[in-house]
Amino acid sequence: MKTKLFFAFAAFCCVFLAYGTYQGLVVAPTEETMGNVQRIFYVHVPAATVGFSMFFVNFLASVFYLWKRSAKADALAATTAEVGVVFCTVVLITGPIWARYAWGTWWSTWDMRLNTTLMLWLLYVSYLMMRRSSTAGSTSVLAAALAVFAFLDVPIVYMANRWFKTHHPPPMIGTSNLDPSMQHILFINMLAFLCFGLLIGWFRYEMERTAQKIDAAHIQRAAGGAAGMMLIPAMFFMSPGHVAPISYLWAGYLAAWGIYVAYLLFLMNKLARLKKEAAELGA
Amino acid sequence: MSIAKLTWINVTKDLRLEWRSRDVFNSMMFFALVVVVVFSFSFEKEDSRPVMGGLIWIAFLFSTTMALNQSWARELRNGVLDAYRVSPAPAEALFLGKCLGNFILVMLLECLMAPLFVVFYNLSTVGPLWQLLLVAVLGTWALVVNGTFFAAMSIRTRNRELMLPLLLLPISLPAVISMVGGTTQVLSGEGSPAVQLKFLAGFCVIFTTACFLLFDTVLNAE
Repeated sequence: MKTKLFFAFAAFCCVFLAYGTYQGLVVAPTEETMGNVQRIFYVHVPAATVGFSMFFVNFLASVFYLWKRSAKADALAATTAEVGVVFCTVVLITGPIWARYAWGTWWSTWDMRLNTTLMLWLLYVSYLMMRRSSTAGSTSVLAAALAVFAFLDVPIVYMANRWFKTHHPPPMIGTSNLDPSMQHILFINMLAFLCFGLLIGWFRYEMERTAQKIDAAHIQRAAGGAAGMMLIPAMFFMSPGHVAPISYLWAGYLAAWGIYVAYLLFLMNKLARLKKEAAELGA
Repeated sequence: MSIAKLTWINVTKDLRLEWRSRDVFNSMMFFALVVVVVFSFSFEKEDSRPVMGGLIWIAFLFSTTMALNQSWARELRNGVLDAYRVSPAPAEALFLGKCLGNFILVMLLECLMAPLFVVFYNLSTVGPLWQLLLVAVLGTWALVVNGTFFAAMSIRTRNRELMLPLLLLPISLPAVISMVGGTTQVLSGEGSPAVQLKFLAGFCVIFTTACFLLFDTVLNAE
């Protein structure tokens, strides 16, 4: 039943994502000043939404773990941190690709919004490293305590856009700055990516539970986004002079999907290992 | 015994241990000195003012990390930490004692290093000095309170000393950014560091509270 439901949901996500991407790439009106490059918006913003939501769930699960010491909450915390890091990586890679075209620079060093997002990514990577390197018995408690600290940074990140002067475009949803048809498509994409995030999260959660059950503490919990970071050097081959603007759009979409696919492959690989291990243990 | 008394005992014990051995303080001092000298070779004296804020705090940040690792490593020998855990004394007193001890140590280091910065970089403040002192006090507390907490966390991991910077630096980044910004503003006299000071004060309050609430959990994590 659970497996059937999972595959039904996966199929639904595929269709929904394809629809959202089609809307974003073809149907959405072209932006006046930035042209087609602006369409990166439809992967960048949804990824940020999913990433931040994942970190929020991670915080709730960690607090719940500290309160009740439930293994399920711990598995949920580990899952959401990892999936959140993947989506946050997408934000951090699609953002600079767009910025290179729109601002002419990859990164704006003193921009609070950019720095705080990067900070958030670093925090959750350090969280994942902490989970890997702590001694077996204490992992869950220490990780939960760290998650509470990491989440204290999230409001700072969220408010940075409003408190500090930044180059980053201000929040536009519900304002007159955003064309209603664009907003509509953005919402479709946000929902589609939220479903996608849920799907990956579900998959990863089941794996974490299996890992807990067979007590496979030695399974590597690599930071999921690390593989995606290999895409960064590719960006330096593009300079604004001799690159058609549309390349930035393709680069953004390719980078985002490259990371998602890489993470899915990583999960598949991990699942295969887990299954093998379970078989060896006769579980 | 009251919490204040217990805290005082912890502080005096830590400082007495440090006074007798001076292991940590000497290495902190020497490390900060080397950083100052190396950077003074690397930058032109005339244009060092805009980067001074960053430079000063890099030196103090890394020497603080040294002190923090040692402050808990000392308690591991002879199972002192386990004795703390079974004793009826509240964990908060131990934590506050450690924080204050480290704070005194780092402030002392900063006071001793300040003349060196003046000598090597021909430094003087354009803005009011009391603002710089306030940035230093708030910034040091932000570093020390988080650092003491995460040092207690990292000694429970497999690669003890390596883990502390990995945990501490990302958490303290907002504080470090405003410390550096505030210091640079006072040194160059461009703008008032009021925003940074407010931010630092808020950061100290939020994270000190979080540390106190969670320290007991971390100390007894099994």
